[in-house]
Amino acid sequence: MKRTDAFSTYHPIIGFLYFAFVILETAFFLHPVLLVISFASAMAYSIYLNGRRAVRFNLLMVLPLMLLAAVINPAFNHEGVTILGYIRDNPITLESILYGVAAAAMIGAVIIWFSCYNAVMTSDKFIYLFGRIIPSLSLILSMALRFIPAYKAQIVRIADAQRGIGRDISSGKLSARARSGLSILSVMVTWALESAIETADSMKARGYGLRGRTAYALYRFDGRDRLLLAFMVCGFALLLFAGGVRILSVQYFPAFSVNDTGFGVCLFYVVHAVICNIPLAADIREDFIWRSLRSKA
Amino acid sequence: MRREVVTDTERRRAGRTTVAIVLILLCIPALIAVNLFFMRDRGYYPTALAIVGLSLIPFFLLYERRKPMARELVLVASLIAIAVVSRAAFFMLPQVKPLAAVIIIAGVSLGVEAGFITGALAAFVSNFIFGQGPWTPWQMFALGLIGFLAGVLFRAGRLPAKRAPLAIFGGMAVLILYGPIVDTAAFLIFPQGLSWHTAALVYLSGLPFNIIHAVSTVAFLLIFAPFMIEKLDRVKRKFGL
Repeated sequence: MKRTDAFSTYHPIIGFLYFAFVILETAFFLHPVLLVISFASAMAYSIYLNGRRAVRFNLLMVLPLMLLAAVINPAFNHEGVTILGYIRDNPITLESILYGVAAAAMIGAVIIWFSCYNAVMTSDKFIYLFGRIIPSLSLILSMALRFIPAYKAQIVRIADAQRGIGRDISSGKLSARARSGLSILSVMVTWALESAIETADSMKARGYGLRGRTAYALYRFDGRDRLLLAFMVCGFALLLFAGGVRILSVQYFPAFSVNDTGFGVCLFYVVHAVICNIPLAADIREDFIWRSLRSKA
Repeated sequence: MRREVVTDTERRRAGRTTVAIVLILLCIPALIAVNLFFMRDRGYYPTALAIVGLSLIPFFLLYERRKPMARELVLVASLIAIAVVSRAAFFMLPQVKPLAAVIIIAGVSLGVEAGFITGALAAFVSNFIFGQGPWTPWQMFALGLIGFLAGVLFRAGRLPAKRAPLAIFGGMAVLILYGPIVDTAAFLIFPQGLSWHTAALVYLSGLPFNIIHAVSTVAFLLIFAPFMIEKLDRVKRKFGL
């Protein structure tokens, strides 16, 4: 069962900015500590969002990709000074192994963050966000997304009607079945194109494209959104600053060196961890409020 | 009368193309410079992603600026939906994707701009079903380019709307454009593995998939291109588009 996700109830701009920043940031810093934090947070949030489905996706899709990335780098990249051994005259270096592991963590984290994005940023939110900047394109998007289930349903209806006149795709010789399948497709395409024109004419009759028409807005940018946005922007700014002054520096080649201790660095770990866990924190806060309200009643 | 309409749209298109060229010429070198001077040995992927995303924007803005008619919008949306539904139908067979075939048909029948938009948005919409990821902008760019080229070549008279030429174009476009562009995304995602070795590895391991994709595109075009184009032409004639 899908749990209710409090972060999804915030204004779409929050979700969009959040994922854009977190994904870019994860791809940019190859700092091991930051990667571990980002990876673990993405994993936790994806499991919160999608439950068992997320575990299956992370194990079956993401893990093999990560293993591939971790193996490919040391196998093809022979830079680095610490030679661990030779495979067919090619040096295997500690640095390239470390780098492969970091790359694997980065790729895994980015893909898991994207799976969270897919769950939170539904197509209607995307269309709401971009409806003003690119009105025609978001109209195309929302119509195409609506046509997909409509066409699937229509194909079933056409197939039933065709069966009624003896063109059954589930029985008979292969060539006859293929021919019935083609005729279903042909009817389908004709119907889709004709009904598209009808839809367009109906839109025009109702004043599509005239001036002064407003769009229905489902989302409201309220105080809660303002607070979270301000908080997020502060965190983003701090991390951008960290990137600018290279305090979270890491070097893999020729020798591995990382700036991983010191007060300033630890401070940025905390900022990064807080940013990565904003969605989960929003969920936990919501659960807490809900429970305390229930216990009072 | 007809000539005047053509020259007018030609002139407007020329104006819009200038904006696009300026945008691309300014922003893309700037991004590469930022990458070279500030990121040194990393950030290839974010930079490449930004460049691909930027190169999509002018096309989208130009399309918006033109204020397309409701009929054209709905036709494009319905072709996108046909492309996505047909991809979903062959979901079980990896790489057997009719998207490129439908997009080539859209480019030929509806023109250059509609071809690009159908391609780019079909990739985007189908990823709402199959999952958005770092690959989305690359697929959008590659499919948009295929629709764009199909439209350009058709208008220039180099690509007749017949079965064989369309199939040849489709196979080549998938093998030479779509495959390598999307493989480049896979290549750049390995942050510092940018060497000729990894390049060869990624492109060679992608080749079998691209060949299946190209062959299936050829097959789809051979089977469906004539009747799809005929239907689109009929709709265009019937409703005077």
